[in-house]
Amino acid sequence: MTALMPSAPITSVTRQLSRRSVFEALLHRSPISRADLAKVTSLSKQTMSEVIDAFEQQGLVRPVGRTSGNVGRTAVLYELSPEGGHALGIDLGARRLTVALTDIAGRVLAEADEPTDSRGGTWTLDQIARLSDRLARDNHTHPSRIRSIVMATPGVVNPKSGAIEMAPNITGLDHLNVVGLLGEKLGSPVVLENDINLALLGEIWHGCAQNVGNVAFLALGSGVGLGLYMNGRLVRGENGAAGEIGYLPIGGDPLQAESRLQGCLEYQVGATGVVRRYREAGGSDVDSEREVFERAQAGEAIASYVVDETARLIALAAAAVIATVDPQLLVLGGSVGARPDFADKVARVLLQLVPRPVEIRTSTLGRRAGVVGALSVALRRLHDEFFGVAEFAAALPLPPPARVGAQQ
Amino acid sequence: MTRETAYCFAADLGGTKLAAAIADGQGRIVAELTEPTDPRGAAYVAEQIAACADKLARTLGIDVTRARHVMVGIPGAIDPRTGRVSLTPNITGLEDFDVLGFLRGRFGPDVAIENDVNLAMLGEHALGCASRCRNAAFLSLGTGVGLGLLIDDKLVRGARGSAGEIADLPIGRDPASQIPCASGSFELEVGSHAILDRYRRAGGTAAATVRDIFSLLQQGDVVAATVLDSTARWVALAVATLQSLLDLELIVFGGSIGVRPELYERVQRVLPALFSRPITIAPSRLGDRAGLIGAAWAAGQPLRQNPESVQ
Repeated sequence: MTALMPSAPITSVTRQLSRRSVFEALLHRSPISRADLAKVTSLSKQTMSEVIDAFEQQGLVRPVGRTSGNVGRTAVLYELSPEGGHALGIDLGARRLTVALTDIAGRVLAEADEPTDSRGGTWTLDQIARLSDRLARDNHTHPSRIRSIVMATPGVVNPKSGAIEMAPNITGLDHLNVVGLLGEKLGSPVVLENDINLALLGEIWHGCAQNVGNVAFLALGSGVGLGLYMNGRLVRGENGAAGEIGYLPIGGDPLQAESRLQGCLEYQVGATGVVRRYREAGGSDVDSEREVFERAQAGEAIASYVVDETARLIALAAAAVIATVDPQLLVLGGSVGARPDFADKVARVLLQLVPRPVEIRTSTLGRRAGVVGALSVALRRLHDEFFGVAEFAAALPLPPPARVGAQQ
Repeated sequence: MTRETAYCFAADLGGTKLAAAIADGQGRIVAELTEPTDPRGAAYVAEQIAACADKLARTLGIDVTRARHVMVGIPGAIDPRTGRVSLTPNITGLEDFDVLGFLRGRFGPDVAIENDVNLAMLGEHALGCASRCRNAAFLSLGTGVGLGLLIDDKLVRGARGSAGEIADLPIGRDPASQIPCASGSFELEVGSHAILDRYRRAGGTAAATVRDIFSLLQQGDVVAATVLDSTARWVALAVATLQSLLDLELIVFGGSIGVRPELYERVQRVLPALFSRPITIAPSRLGDRAGLIGAAWAAGQPLRQNPESVQ
C-alpha cells in the first residue's frame, strides 16, 4: 500500500480517511454501536463521535435501536439511512428496458421494466426518463436524491459525441448525444457502459461469480459478446472494444464480406445467423432464433443440428478465451447462452478442445444481470462521491447480496 | 554494518540455451552470458543456473551473495498459488522439480520465477518497443508458441498461470478432430515442426530447418514463399483473435520465427482483409534478449520500489 506523503492537506485527507473507514464499517456491519465502530476502525472514541455526529446531520446514518443482553448500559445502534442518497441503474436492451433503484447501503428498493420503445431515438430516451421518474416516485424518492446513474447499453459509446454506435438493434441513438440528453432529462449526469461488461459485474456482485478474481462472461442472445474481468478489474481494451468476439475468425470464412461487416462469428451465431442457417438447412419458417431452440428441445432434427453447430462455435470461442486469458470461471449468459440445455452442449464440446477443463456456470441473474451491474457501478460512484480519496485508487468493497432486502 | 550495493541476478531458461545476467539495482544488465542448456534435465539445469551466477560474479569481481534479487524465466506455466511449473516439454523433469525452492536455498528469499514470454513482454514494456503501451501482447513464435499479456500496465497470468498458452488456440485445421489434447492446434500450424512439415508436403527438399527456409526464400525459392504465406495466414488469424478479444494497442512479434521480417510483413499484409479495425504489430526491439532484459528489470523491482531496503 502506498504511504501517504506528509503534505499541507494531510488533515483533510486524514479526516476523509476516517469518514471513509467509518462508512465502510457501517456498510458491512450495520447495525453497530459507536464503541464497536471505534473498535473496528481503530479510531479514537472522540474522532468516531465527531464522524457519527456529522453523518447524522448529513442524514447518512440513523439510530435503529439499542444493544441488549450485555451487562451494563445499553448503547445506541446505527445503520446507514435510506435517506443518505440513491443510485439508479438502467439497462437499455433492444427488446426490454429495465430500471432499478438502490439506496446508499446497496439495498435494492425497486425494479421496473417494459418493452423498449421500438421507434428508437428520442422516444427511447423519453421512455427511459419516464420509467425512471415513475420508479422514484413510487418509492417516495425525490428525483433530486438520485445522485448517481449508470446505464447499460449495447454497442460502443463514442466518448466525443456521446452517441451509441455499433448497436444495430436499437435505432436512432448513433446520431444523438445520448449522454448529454439523458443527463438533462434525468437531472443528473449519466454514465454509459457496455451491457455485457455490466452483466458481468452484476454476476460478480449478486450472481454466480461472487468472490472470483478472473471471470470470463460469454453472452449469446440476439448477438454474441464477451466480458472479461482479470486481476480484479474489467478489461476494456485500448479503445473500449475488448470482448467484441463477434469478430472472432470462427465459424466461416473471415474474408467474406458479411464476416468483415458483421463479424465472422456473429454472422453465424447471432439471432439472424441461427434463423438463416436453420432455413438453409431446410427448416420451415420461424419467427425468431428462440423458436429454433425450442424446436431443438422438442427433438426436431434440423433444429437440433443447427443448435449443436451453434454450441460448437460458442465452444470454439470459449476455447480461444481460455487459451488466451485462463479464467477461473466461465459464465454463460444471454437469452440463449444461459439455457441449461445449450450450456451443457457447449461444456461437452469444450471438454474435447481444452486440455484442462475450466469451471462453467450459467448466469443466475438472467436478464437482470445488466441492471444489477449498472446498480453496482452507480453505487460505487455514489460512495466515491462521498468518500473518495485521491490516494486510494480502489473503490470501497460493495456489501454482499445477503444484506439486500429486495432479492428474489 | 556494511552498506554494499545489492545486485540482481536474472536468467532466461530455454529448451536449448540458458541466458543469465547480473544487473544493478535499477535492473540494468552489467554482465551476461549464454550457454547451451544442460540436456540432463531439471536438477542439472538448476545447478547450471546457480553456476552462471557464480561465473558472472567472478567476472565482475563481486561476491555472488550480493546478487540477492533474483528472477528466472521458465518456459512453461507457473501456477500462482502453488508455484508448480507445468507445460514444459523441453526440459526433462522440470514439472516435478521445485525450482523455486532450489533457487531460494541458493540465493535467499527474494527469488521469483516467471513465465519466459511474460518476462519478454515486461522487457519490451520497460525498455523496448511497448514502452508507451498500457495494453499490449508479446507473441512468441519459434519451436513453440506463447503469449505474454499486458493489460492496464499489469501482466495477466490467469487463474492457473496459463494465460497466453496459445498453443491450444482453436486456429488451424479442425481442432475437434483426432488431435490429442497434449498439443494444441495453433502450434500444430505455426510451430517450427509444422512449418518444416508444410515445406516437405509442398515438395521442398532443400531445407532441414526453418532457418534454411528463410535462406531459400531470399534466393527466390517459390516453395519457401508459399509455405511462409500460409504460415502467415494462420498467424494473422491468431492476431485477429487476440484483437477481437482484447483490443490491444500493440502486438510485439518475438521468438526466432516471429522476429523475421519475411514473416511479420506477410502477416501485416493479410490483416486488413481479416479485420476491419487497424491492428498494430511490430517486431521485438530487444530480440532474443527480451526475456533476459525483462527478467533483470523485474528482479530490480523491489530495489526500485523500496531503495532503503538495500543494505
